[in-house]
Amino acid sequence: MSRIQSAGLQRGQPVTILVNGKRESAYLGETIAGALLAAGHRAWRRTRHGEPRGLFCGIGVCFDCTVTVNGAPNVRACQTPVAEGMIIETDWVAEVNA
Amino acid sequence: MTEPIEIVVVGAGPGGLSAALAAAQAGARVALVDNNRQPGGQYFRQPAREFRGAASPHQRQGADLWQRVQAAGVHWWAETTAWGAAETRVLTLAGNHAPSSIQPPAIILATGTYERTVAFPGWTLPGVMTAGAAQTLLKEQHLLPGKKILLVGTGPLQLVLAAELVRAGAHVVAVLEGAPIFQKGAAHLGSLWGQWERVVEGASSWLTLASHAVPYRTSWGIVAANGNRQVAGATIARLDAAWQPVAGSEEQIACDTICLGYGFIPFTALAQLLGAQMTWQPELGGDVPTRDANLQTSAPGVYAVGDGAGIGGAALAQVEGEIAGIAAAAQLGHHADTAAQKIQALLPRLTRERQFQKMYAALFTPGAGLDTLARDETILCRCEEITQADVRRAIALGANSAGEVKSITRGGMGDCQGRMCSHLLAHAIARETQQTLAQVGRVRPRPPLFPTPIPVLGQVQAARAEESLR
Repeated sequence: MSRIQSAGLQRGQPVTILVNGKRESAYLGETIAGALLAAGHRAWRRTRHGEPRGLFCGIGVCFDCTVTVNGAPNVRACQTPVAEGMIIETDWVAEVNA
Repeated sequence: MTEPIEIVVVGAGPGGLSAALAAAQAGARVALVDNNRQPGGQYFRQPAREFRGAASPHQRQGADLWQRVQAAGVHWWAETTAWGAAETRVLTLAGNHAPSSIQPPAIILATGTYERTVAFPGWTLPGVMTAGAAQTLLKEQHLLPGKKILLVGTGPLQLVLAAELVRAGAHVVAVLEGAPIFQKGAAHLGSLWGQWERVVEGASSWLTLASHAVPYRTSWGIVAANGNRQVAGATIARLDAAWQPVAGSEEQIACDTICLGYGFIPFTALAQLLGAQMTWQPELGGDVPTRDANLQTSAPGVYAVGDGAGIGGAALAQVEGEIAGIAAAAQLGHHADTAAQKIQALLPRLTRERQFQKMYAALFTPGAGLDTLARDETILCRCEEITQADVRRAIALGANSAGEVKSITRGGMGDCQGRMCSHLLAHAIARETQQTLAQVGRVRPRPPLFPTPIPVLGQVQAARAEESLR
């Protein structure tokens, strides 16, 4: 939910990503899941039955955290690094509590 | 590629890195495949490449091993998924740095493990995640997974994670250990002799939690995750010796994040597709490939090491990797004369780590009560949203085995290909039909093991066709 600030730690270059049309800042080296969590999102996939899902396994094996990236569907948020100008669409558009 | 690859190592965690290094140092041409951007696996997980000054001493140890692997001339196929295999020792790969299929003289599987999930009411709510997810956020992303974090599960890794979270500034509301370790632990103290690094790490984690007054309860576990659309709290309860919640002991605890650390399941799907014979070993995490003294499976030329061949931790994975690397290289004629002697010298380390593994399994293998937390409406298969009631209905229709329940419900057929649910489904079927897990059987993995774009499947077809024309 929050980026750890520690002495000596320097994140990658700051970038701007678009999450459901809203600009969010992130840092190179962060995954989409990391950036979404840091922006206050907890849920981003909507199941066929309409249930919210977010990060679960975190290591790329469960496929619960998928999002649409630059128009490509079913991209694992936990395995995909952010890039400048990346357009991320989530099918669960939730109340964000940063 | 001018010279063909002789050994493909799948997985760049401690076991795979050690195997690749040993085989390459013996003179074999080795390729190392991993689906991550960076080597290290879960244990040596590195900070994101773009981050500076972020490596812990532990991560530097992994980076040192990686430097030696590179210096030995190992080909590195990063971000490559081994999504299929066949009994002819063929691997099919998806990634920008690797061929679409390869049939090397030897394969060393170091595929590692994933968390053993537990189904309880609310476990699909956002905010419930595996301990591995929290650890990855922490080590690689330098992010906290939540604000008020509850850790439930078993084993010292929970303690280590809790301490790391606290040191990074998180509020850990409690750590619940399912096992009655204070009753059972004393009998095993002798096995800690010589395990000083582990003792020190455990003690240091313990002190961190104590100094932050984080409650640590043994014989306690989760019963339900509560919240509307995301986690707002948990119902927890005292557990009896069989890990069954004790009626009346329930308490409510407020939290926004729940990390599940109930142990691991070896990733054996590639071994099965390659034709390796499997054996049911609950103390090693379930089904594991049978192996000879050189860690070769029943499939000729296919070796298996580390957690993917039986849960045993990083130190065991490393010594197994060395043995398999030396043996596989020797099988191909590299330093075959000295291999036996080198392997002999590694046996004391292997024995010591296996003893530690036995103690660990005796203390921290969950009891049967853990598989009874689901209710009728609780989802067992997350991908296809199959509930316990759906499984019961399939059984009422006459289904009697894992395969039959899969055919009727689609349970285990989603994007995760059963990695998150096949053990949950098997336990539910066994209980409902009063059979053993062996009688319920298992569902054979089938490629693609991971969702794979259609054009990638086409590449394999094209490459095969080209080969047959040659």
